[in-house]
Amino acid sequence: MKAQEIFDTWRKMGALLLCRHDFRKSGLSFSAFFAPDMVSEAARGLFEAGWFLEDLSAMPVKEGLLVTYHYAAARQPGRLAVRALAERGRLTSIAGVYQGAEWHEREAADFFGLEFIGNPNPVPLLLPHDFPDPPPLLKAEKDLAAMRDLGLFGQAREILDPAWAARLGALEKGEGAA
Amino acid sequence: MSNLFVNPFHFSTISENPADMLGDFYSLNFEKGRVDPDSMILNLGPQHPSTHGVLRILAELHGEYVLRAEPVLGYLHRMHDFMGQVKTPYQFLPNTGRVDYLHPVAWNWAYCGALERLAGLEVPERAEYLRIICCELNRIASHVMWWGAFVMDLGGFTPILYAFEEREKINDLLQIVTGSRLTMNSMRFGGMGADLDDRFLQKAADFIPYMRERLKMYDRLVTGNVIFRRRLEGVGPLDEEICRRYGATGPVLRGAGVAYDVRRAEPYGLYDRFDFEIPVAESPDCLGRYLVRLREIEESLKIVEQALARIPAGPYKHPKAPKVSWKPPAGEAYFAVEGGRGKIGIHVVSDGGKSNYRLKLRAPGFSNLSLFAEAARGTLLADALAILGSLDLVIPEVDR
Repeated sequence: MKAQEIFDTWRKMGALLLCRHDFRKSGLSFSAFFAPDMVSEAARGLFEAGWFLEDLSAMPVKEGLLVTYHYAAARQPGRLAVRALAERGRLTSIAGVYQGAEWHEREAADFFGLEFIGNPNPVPLLLPHDFPDPPPLLKAEKDLAAMRDLGLFGQAREILDPAWAARLGALEKGEGAA
Repeated sequence: MSNLFVNPFHFSTISENPADMLGDFYSLNFEKGRVDPDSMILNLGPQHPSTHGVLRILAELHGEYVLRAEPVLGYLHRMHDFMGQVKTPYQFLPNTGRVDYLHPVAWNWAYCGALERLAGLEVPERAEYLRIICCELNRIASHVMWWGAFVMDLGGFTPILYAFEEREKINDLLQIVTGSRLTMNSMRFGGMGADLDDRFLQKAADFIPYMRERLKMYDRLVTGNVIFRRRLEGVGPLDEEICRRYGATGPVLRGAGVAYDVRRAEPYGLYDRFDFEIPVAESPDCLGRYLVRLREIEESLKIVEQALARIPAGPYKHPKAPKVSWKPPAGEAYFAVEGGRGKIGIHVVSDGGKSNYRLKLRAPGFSNLSLFAEAARGTLLADALAILGSLDLVIPEVDR
């Protein structure tokens, strides 16, 4: 299934925010924000459409811990990003859909203290099991940036959940939701 | 005090330290999943010749059969993600040559490409050619080293000595442009760190026919060997579906018959101007992956040949390339390149500060190795090691 078609199905799946990106400038085609318990369903849809999980890139931001799943396909061009803000450091595991996600999730758990509910083997992967807290890639409160300042929302946006209007903040003043 | 006088030759099953007896955290965790009460748990590595660096594999065996296996990572973990977030973009550049010691140029390229994409930097045409020449020569060296090491895994010692001969010749070439022979760090944002000279052009032109002859010798020495083929044919079949579930790319995925190569699927640099094929295997077993890599050497030679013939004159670095104190603009970029082991990806996020806000390295070996537990289930231990070798692992890259 083409990237554009997946993008259209995300709307029906209950995405909170949809973003279009310029691939030449960002290396992304489309991205969508989902509720943390929806990432597994989004993964299922992508798996059935022939896409594979490239990696899982977590990042602390002012709004919380943002987790980005990058997807690509062997027979389709483009890159898709499924994003979710972890709730109290927790997310649903997608290792039941993409078995390769087990390691990506364990790595994110090591680096950010995330917990992936349903991961089949939730033990440390890269860091020692007795590595002292805090997780090494968390940032101090003063160093956190807001998502809108990191350019995560692409060139055109579609807000499906009203709560996201505030998160986009100043960004939308001049242009309005696409 | 009395501990000092314990007889070292006296073997006792009772230790004063319970941790010595019970195994460590990972073996205890592995033991919880034991499927057969009569099985034996074998701890392979982290210091074992067949694990290429410090990879550790826990295997539950029934006789010679692997019931279950689990790689244990982290022995070479250096936290490049963190270093990428505290160093400036320029300071981090040498790190990229240390992620994968067999194909450092590809990692240079992935990182420079990510920041160039983020900042919208231009790269002069000559530099794009230089990047392709270096990257493809380095890919040949990487595949050749794999070839030697893989055959050694299977019990044939001689080929790795030939492989080193080729690698030395390639290193002689790459040293002219990159200045180093192992942890290469030749690229700069907006171009290259140095140009090539006539000596390089001559040596590279001599290398191509030499390597083509050597490939014929490889086939005579190894590929046709009946013992070698019996060790690989039908062993470790990995189809497209398992590759997709684990995110395996590179020769592992092409071994499954899928013509997926980042150089074609997500063209970067000037690869779209070059004529080369993406070899795929006819059978998805260890032999298929072996043949794919050998054919990829031929294709890389074709690319180098074309690049040497067409390289234009001009600057090797953009005149407005960023200075050392450069701060990339705020934003996000993902850049992927085709490394010797598969898709290398760099996800960089910047808040406009002097170092990256987030840097994530996607190592192809990480995803390729993650399918090993499933692929090894039910195989003979010796076949499991053939499968492990056929994945072409570079552990520093897996651990990052």
